[in-house]
Amino acid sequence: MRKNALAGWLLLAPSLALLGGLVLFPVLYNAWLSLFDKHAFLPVQAFVGLKHYVYFAHDEEFWNSFEHGVVYAGATLVLQLAVGIPAALLLNEGFRGRNLLRGVVLFPYVIPTIVAVILWKWLLNDSYGLVNHWLMASHLAALPVAWLGKDHIMTSLVVTSVWQFFPFVVVTYLARLQTIPPELYEAATVDGAGAWSRFRHVTLPQTASVLFVIVLLRSIWMFTKFDTVWLMAGDGGVSRYIRTLPVYAYARSFTYLQAGMGAALAVIMFVLLLAATAAYFRLFQREEALS
Amino acid sequence: MRRRALIYGSAVALLMIGAFPLFWMVSTSLKPSGEIFATPPRMIPARPTLENFERLFADTRFLTYFRNSATVSLTTVALTLAVSSLGAYGLTRFSFPGRDTIAALILTTYMFAPVMIIIPFYILVKQLGLVNTHLALVLSYTTFCLPFSLWLLRAFFRSIPLDLEEAALVDGAGRGRAVWYVVLPLALPGLIATAIFTFILAYNDFLFALVLISSEELKTLPVGVNDLFNATIVDWGMIMAAGVMITAPAVVFFAAVQRYLVQGWGAGGVKG
Repeated sequence: MRKNALAGWLLLAPSLALLGGLVLFPVLYNAWLSLFDKHAFLPVQAFVGLKHYVYFAHDEEFWNSFEHGVVYAGATLVLQLAVGIPAALLLNEGFRGRNLLRGVVLFPYVIPTIVAVILWKWLLNDSYGLVNHWLMASHLAALPVAWLGKDHIMTSLVVTSVWQFFPFVVVTYLARLQTIPPELYEAATVDGAGAWSRFRHVTLPQTASVLFVIVLLRSIWMFTKFDTVWLMAGDGGVSRYIRTLPVYAYARSFTYLQAGMGAALAVIMFVLLLAATAAYFRLFQREEALS
Repeated sequence: MRRRALIYGSAVALLMIGAFPLFWMVSTSLKPSGEIFATPPRMIPARPTLENFERLFADTRFLTYFRNSATVSLTTVALTLAVSSLGAYGLTRFSFPGRDTIAALILTTYMFAPVMIIIPFYILVKQLGLVNTHLALVLSYTTFCLPFSLWLLRAFFRSIPLDLEEAALVDGAGRGRAVWYVVLPLALPGLIATAIFTFILAYNDFLFALVLISSEELKTLPVGVNDLFNATIVDWGMIMAAGVMITAPAVVFFAAVQRYLVQGWGAGGVKG
């Protein structure tokens, strides 16, 4: 290792310039901007202090979006775990075609969001979609269900998102499963533990820390998800039944052209995430340290 | 016996969940319009046809979007690899005060979701005169891939023994040649994992492309195809053909290098 500060800094300079100029500066500028009334395109701005924050505290649309975000992130998180963990346990067993299946399971995660959304809109199409056809053929529904109408659009969004993102849980959980020493299972079997008991007393404690990370990352990513939510319903029609904070921030900035208000929403999202992350660490850190 | 049945039953279920929607997309894209709306729906097209693809190429700007996406994604991959290799080499081969602090700071920038800074980002790009250029997209994707790529490559570079590099230097190779012929080949799995993550992020992005690009000729696939979808009564056969065309490069790229991916996953995960 050479002590050559100049060379080190020079090599890092392009990275630091990009991160400083295009991430850190915008973050700070965003906080500053949230104190202004600013048009998104025209160079008009007026200092208004905390006015936007006060406004949002009483803004029904804000609370609606917040609620949608919590429902969306919560439901998709639970379902991603419910599908992803059993899938990872399965892919950790030995059977023919396992490697192929490991690859196939990643497809939904690799295809672009636009494809996932148009594909599910086709499957859920009320007149010609396969889902309604199957529901009616098996007499589970008498009439076609309007999956993309206001009553079911949130369900459709959740299904699409779970399909798209559960592979992340599979791969991350599977990577950890593969490192559990087989002796632990052998010992448990010798002690007469059944399958459930082995999962409860060996697998779960061994994977607690990776679950901690999966839950953290996936909650943050679902709460800040923009493209899937936006593509599902755009900015008109039924979009208000699934509008989450990222979509609301986008609409404020680029539809209503109120950049200051959009910036304030971004700050609020950031503070909410920071608070939730801190609370999460406080609640679960002890268990995490044990594993 | 019951255990085997359970395993194979679950495997089939998982296969259906993962692959059936994609199978249905391919099947629909190959059907003539009469069959697309047939009841009951046919799983396999009775008279497969490429007419949906022909319409897609002839009547829309799909090929332009496709070319734009390819240009932007591949440029992003090249730039990210160059910038993050230099940075990771600096972080692992030179010691200087504040080095570890910098590395930690770089990781914290990973916390900011694009949607949280898109407004100031747009204003900044506008002031630089880069609105409606591919360069703006490449720079934004590169920046958002950097924290992850720097950390991944740092881990790979650190695992390459310094002795190998020094042996090359002793043999009379310059620093540049030593890096090119000794370090980079050994870091290849890391470089490939970085390339895949970067490609997927850039190829998939909707938000930056939506905000930063306004002219038709410069649009990338996600925004272009969403416009197609919203434009008129949906031509499902053609839209599914577009879906197949968009998915193919991502899946091929991914399948070719999948084995490198798991290593990258362990080292830092992927965002999304």
